[in-house]
Amino acid sequence: MYRAVDFRLSDEHRVVQAAAADFAAREILPLAADLDRSGGFPQEVIRKAAEAGLLAMTVPEAYGGAGLDAVAYVIAQEELARASAGVQTIITVNNSLVCEPILRFGSEAQKRTYLPALASGRSLGCYCLTEPASGSDAMSLRTSARADGEHWILNGTKIFVTNGVEADVCLVYARTGPEPGARGLSAFIVEKRVPGVRVGKIEHKLGIRCSSTAEIVFEDARVPKANLLGEVGQGGRIALATLDGGRLGIAAQAVGIARAALEAARDYARQRTQFGRPIADFQAIQWMLADMATRIDAARLLTLRAAWLRAQDRPHTREASMAKLFASETAMWATHKAVQIHGGYGYIQDYPVERYFRDAKITEIYEGTSEIQRLVIARHTIGTRT
Amino acid sequence: MNTVVCLKQVVDPELPAWDFAIDPATKRQVRTGKPLVISTYDENALELALQLKEKVGGKVTALTLGPAGEVKDAVRLALAMGADEAVVIDDAEAPLRLGPDKAAVLAAAIRRLGAADLVLTGCESADWVERSVAPLLAEMLGAACVTFITALETGAGTVTVRRTAEEGVHVVQARLPAVLSVTSDEAIRPRLPKVKDIMGAMRKPVQQWTPADVGAEAVLPPVEVREVSVPQRTTRCEFLEGDPAQQAQALVERLQALKLI
Repeated sequence: MYRAVDFRLSDEHRVVQAAAADFAAREILPLAADLDRSGGFPQEVIRKAAEAGLLAMTVPEAYGGAGLDAVAYVIAQEELARASAGVQTIITVNNSLVCEPILRFGSEAQKRTYLPALASGRSLGCYCLTEPASGSDAMSLRTSARADGEHWILNGTKIFVTNGVEADVCLVYARTGPEPGARGLSAFIVEKRVPGVRVGKIEHKLGIRCSSTAEIVFEDARVPKANLLGEVGQGGRIALATLDGGRLGIAAQAVGIARAALEAARDYARQRTQFGRPIADFQAIQWMLADMATRIDAARLLTLRAAWLRAQDRPHTREASMAKLFASETAMWATHKAVQIHGGYGYIQDYPVERYFRDAKITEIYEGTSEIQRLVIARHTIGTRT
Repeated sequence: MNTVVCLKQVVDPELPAWDFAIDPATKRQVRTGKPLVISTYDENALELALQLKEKVGGKVTALTLGPAGEVKDAVRLALAMGADEAVVIDDAEAPLRLGPDKAAVLAAAIRRLGAADLVLTGCESADWVERSVAPLLAEMLGAACVTFITALETGAGTVTVRRTAEEGVHVVQARLPAVLSVTSDEAIRPRLPKVKDIMGAMRKPVQQWTPADVGAEAVLPPVEVREVSVPQRTTRCEFLEGDPAQQAQALVERLQALKLI
């Protein structure tokens, strides 16, 4: 008897999907266009998301989380991103980039201190890795941390920090030793309220506009020794392991945006009449929709496979990169086609596809550009893993 | 206070019109492959029952009738929202049944559950809109019946309800047991269950019976559906010629001819 690959969702995953879809339909979708235009942070939506258990989905119940696996996580993220990629960005950062590393590398005391607050919405997390001179070359970062009695003293500037304005808890990477590259790095949990931490420039963005993106400046910021995450010198490893999970969230986001674009384009094509018939009757439009549907399914399957591996605690760096690469490029491509199917109406704000188009672009850039994903995949393919 | 809430799974009424199809053989809406949701007002009924439980205590039982594979999600959602128990009457024929037929099975199940003070239903289902199940259940159970309610308060052996009426609101007192049909109101907007509670609900038992298990007697349906069709709406667009004054005059004449003004 062969054990077949099973593409059905489990009952548990199906109900999580339905719950996330309900939440998105009721609490996010009606506000999505306005949030995009105003660029205002959706405080109330995030409060409700916390209440629903969406801010710390994979954190065990003992720490206040929902106790779900990575598959449930990506399924829910797709539903949220379908409604608003901006809102989902805020949520996915808190989940993947802040709760996950604390859960995986944190001490018991750190887990007890920070996870319940991050799960309940009392705190919001942000991830401070990128610096003005280190983007794709993240491991060359310059922010420094030096030991001083019972504290670490942090100095440096982080940029492009999602949730940077509203977050209370920052996961910060800094150089603690003279070793070059990843080996000299350590990770810290920094409470933003400590003296010496301030929000700098706030960015104005093309898409995901309701999430804040800010510079965070550390000037002799005193961080208690107890807030070192993992061990000294482990920062590079923590950063890379965290990005594997983060990439799943972005892959799911890209699938969600692409699906929203497909659904909008399909609905439009069915009701828009030209030359006496719905434009969905024309093969030129049909082929675009068919290609969109096919690529979106492929992107979702790659994402689910990577999530399944993560849920099984199996290596998934390569698969997460493939999912993120393919899904983000699918989102860009599919939203481009959706605008095209809408013609002039796709270019104006009365229809949602121009928002999807703008939102899609970031998925090819953050948490590792498409070029970095190809680099990761190539290393696994060719066998040079250094 | 023991409350039973009747929930019906219907094809998602939010689906676009082109997804609506009728099976010519059964003269019923095609359900296969369509997303099913709890009928809108049934969710309001559940929310009202849960709010009552939070106020005065007691137990809420979610009851649904349908093919078990299709309808289990409805009672799982009810459990996640806070219902204490869930019962599915597994009946492949349920989507074919209309009000009287359905009420007979539900009444038998409610009798089997025993000692219900209140039975809540939605005021109408999102698919057939018969509005008949609540009054029929009341008749079969020998209970009082009030329809289209939005709020309730229980007293000693009584329930006082706010009933939405065309000209305003009726406040009505009924003796218990009572069957109440619930309409929508902002105060009973169904709550969104927490993900944690959804997972908890997956582990709770769901009681499953057949119509025979509850002793439901076959009712010869008093109503037979002879024909169901999707209304064909044709639209026609006409351009009125002339300068704006002439166009306005022509428009007024058309509207008057159509008795619209």
